Amino acid sequence: MISNILSFLIWLPITSGLLILFYKRDDAILNFLNIIINFIVFVISIILLNSYDQLSPNFQFVEKIDWIPSLNIQYLLGVDAISVLLIFLNTIIFLIVSLYNSTLNLKKRNQYYASFLLANGLTIGVFSALDAILFYIFFEALLIPMFLIIGIWGGANRIYASIKFFVYTFLGSILLLIAFLYINSSIESFNVLSFYDSDFSLVEQEWLFIAMAIAFAIKIPMFPFHTWLPDAHVEAPTSGSVVLAAILLKVGAYGFIRYVLPVVPLGASSLDIFFIILSLIAIVYVGIVAITQNDMKKLIAYSSISHMGFVTLGFFIIFQLFDSTNLKDDIIVSLSGSMYQIISHGFVSAALFICVGSIYDRYKTKKISDLSGLLNQMPVYSWFFVFFALANCGLPGTSSFVGELLIILASFKTSFLYAFLASSTLIISAVYSLWLVKRVIYGELKNGLNNNLDANLLEKIILFTLALIVLILGVYPDFMMTYMNNTLQNMTNNIILKI
Amino acid sequence: MTLNNTLLSLSSFAPEIFLFLMAMGVLMIGIFKSLKNYVVSLTIISVAIALLMNFFTYNDRTLYIFNDSILKSSVTEFFKYICYVIFLIQILVSQKYLKDKKLISGEFYSLLLFALIGCLIIISANNLIALFLGIELSSLSLYSLIALNRTSLISGEAAIKYFVLSIIASALILFGFSYLYGITNSLMINEIANYLSNNELSNLYLFSYILVFIGVAFKFAVAPFHMWLPDVYEGAPLPITNFIASIPKIAFFVFAYRFLNDNQILFEDNFSKFILYLGVFSIFIGNIYALAQQKIMRMLAYSGVANSGFIFLAIFVSVDFNFSVAAFYVITYTVTTVSAISIITFISSNKFDLIYIKDFKGLSSKSGLISILFMITLLSTAGIPLTVGFYAKYLVLDALVNQSMIVTAVIVVLFTVIGLYYYLRVIWFMFFETGFNSLVKVNGVPYLIVLSIIPFSIIAIFIFPDFVFSYLFSILT
Repeated sequence: MISNILSFLIWLPITSGLLILFYKRDDAILNFLNIIINFIVFVISIILLNSYDQLSPNFQFVEKIDWIPSLNIQYLLGVDAISVLLIFLNTIIFLIVSLYNSTLNLKKRNQYYASFLLANGLTIGVFSALDAILFYIFFEALLIPMFLIIGIWGGANRIYASIKFFVYTFLGSILLLIAFLYINSSIESFNVLSFYDSDFSLVEQEWLFIAMAIAFAIKIPMFPFHTWLPDAHVEAPTSGSVVLAAILLKVGAYGFIRYVLPVVPLGASSLDIFFIILSLIAIVYVGIVAITQNDMKKLIAYSSISHMGFVTLGFFIIFQLFDSTNLKDDIIVSLSGSMYQIISHGFVSAALFICVGSIYDRYKTKKISDLSGLLNQMPVYSWFFVFFALANCGLPGTSSFVGELLIILASFKTSFLYAFLASSTLIISAVYSLWLVKRVIYGELKNGLNNNLDANLLEKIILFTLALIVLILGVYPDFMMTYMNNTLQNMTNNIILKI
Repeated sequence: MTLNNTLLSLSSFAPEIFLFLMAMGVLMIGIFKSLKNYVVSLTIISVAIALLMNFFTYNDRTLYIFNDSILKSSVTEFFKYICYVIFLIQILVSQKYLKDKKLISGEFYSLLLFALIGCLIIISANNLIALFLGIELSSLSLYSLIALNRTSLISGEAAIKYFVLSIIASALILFGFSYLYGITNSLMINEIANYLSNNELSNLYLFSYILVFIGVAFKFAVAPFHMWLPDVYEGAPLPITNFIASIPKIAFFVFAYRFLNDNQILFEDNFSKFILYLGVFSIFIGNIYALAQQKIMRMLAYSGVANSGFIFLAIFVSVDFNFSVAAFYVITYTVTTVSAISIITFISSNKFDLIYIKDFKGLSSKSGLISILFMITLLSTAGIPLTVGFYAKYLVLDALVNQSMIVTAVIVVLFTVIGLYYYLRVIWFMFFETGFNSLVKVNGVPYLIVLSIIPFSIIAIFIFPDFVFSYLFSILT
């Protein structure tokens, strides 16, 4: 099994998701099946995490089938440390979501679970595909379950949000397809490894960079392309928001580090200033926008965009960083900061969305102005809310601190201005997170909010697990750093060689 | 291999002749009230038998019969099989609708069979006269079929529109034929298409080709020759729309293929640009107009215009005379359209007319299977992965990029994104809204099985596409 572990990870949730469509009788059995499947996937991903050889920088668990020889497309899977960590994030988040889902009252429960299982498998596919077209297919197909999740189980304005989400992302990804086709037309291969060996002229690289970067910038999302995200988050059901924030945004980040930086580094380095500026705008401006929100989900959505700004900043300063210090290690610091931020944000934002979702389940409102003094009603729950709010503003000891610190360190070596603007997030994120806590958790209890429903056992387990992960990642970052070190070394060598 | 012996020719042409006789028979049987119920089964059986005859009599050799005026080759036979199968599916799913609308009669099925025979003749004709007869046979039958629903006003309008515009198209084609005959001194398509390998290109030759292809553009409803399509889609009885949307397109694709294969005119800038601009313009018009439509059939019509534009683009990119891209696109598009219209026909047959897009609201709670099938079909038309439609668009884009026409590819792709919206709108009405209008339960297991065939193969061929590609590649190059 170990040699086909990736296929197993991808197709187990997809096929079981399709099978679960035909069963709709008993909710309890459905819940059980859903959790069990997600748990099995999770266990397999732990096996993957364990058996991955950190010392080797190459892609591992490679599976190769000549899928469509006439079009040069292969069924080619393989993982490096980045993919393994993201797959692990993915399976753990989906396991948590499946636990959370079983507490909900749902219509069409089997279809809901099927959509999530499909999304689970397809995301693993995105993270493990080494053939560009295979990647594109997973990337695009992932839209369908998310579209249905937002559209069927979403809020009042769900149709607008889901269509916007779909069309926006599709627009980006179809440009990506053209970029892939162009690369294939000159190097006759869709294999990522031969993408890395490709040698395009500067102009070609710039155009390829624009096409691919727009696709991933929409997905991440970066500043001017971000407008779909708040809508999608507000309208999506809680579990949809969790998956959106924790997984889907990471697909965009993964695209940057897998397909943009190593494939077209020349193009990226000649246009990097735009993306650095956009990242800084995301960090500062979108952060300020988050402060003014009255909808809790919107606030967290904007804070996600702001945090993803850090990720893209970490990706795009590497060229200027290398120009100014000429040290390979600095690039690795910057990239690993971004990777750390990706993983950390996955857990923190998931937890925050679950917190907000629980408030919404109890009080049927997401408006901050409707809420106050929840501490008196639900102390345990409030404890977690405060903890994750603090984690969101990058408190030392939590996982967000590590990533942000590394990126700020790297940007200091590049330019004082970048570092100054980037570190302003420490204040801005503190403002929106703590002010959110102040208004929702503390203060006088408002009338009509007293129903004494503290977190139930399942919620406690979920939130405790997430809090534990955030803390472990915060105080012991070394595990992840060494885990991906070799992969990042290799990737950096590749990039340096080409610029 | 050439057969000049009439008797042998007749035996090679047996499936069509058999169908022709059966069409007469169906007409005869339809006269008797007591036998009227057998009309449908007789039609189905005769088409199935013709398919089998075709399958067992053809032995993979290129065969010219009736003094070179009919060609049987692996290409023509392959497209004929597809026509037969599509026709069978259409007949099977439309019974309920026709019963509901009281349209079942001998003349209906015999005219439909004549239209099919016409298309089969277009596919296999090698002689301009035979070709034109095929075109007219199918068109004439279709004029009357569109108008068959005598109580409907829009049917009459559609029939008149189709009649007038189709006559113009036929006239243009015939005009082009007459020049071609004058220039090349031959009525044989293979000789006309090979003319340029021995002779210089003359303006007249180019002009007549453009005339013929304007006629083809009419039949494909490529903008700006698409005006008849929305009205016909809306006005004709749904099973007839289903026919018009699919089988003539396949036939005219083979027509275009026969005229362009091995013909140097494809490298002629004037001609290829003509095809390219028509294609891009059609994609533009189709996608933009479809956005504004409220009626499902008009929306599908404009989506058809956009897809025909893609077919023209696919013909444009067929340099090296590799028409497999275009063939794949045509087959994918027609088969998905058949699936879409069949599903609409099936829903409409429950004493409930599905006219507006908003009539789809809440279909998923009424029948989950039907709405999933329809969603697969729509996603395939839009070209989203996990469906065959993705490969169809992919191949066209790939060919465009390979010819360094990246700007065209980007423009086309942007219009596709715009087009995505109207497909999604149907999906959102089906899944995101509630309250389906018709109270009659959507049921009928045999129908559901027939309806699932195409969506199932859409997914299946997405997963294992290679045998299709290599087969098309092997017969078309």
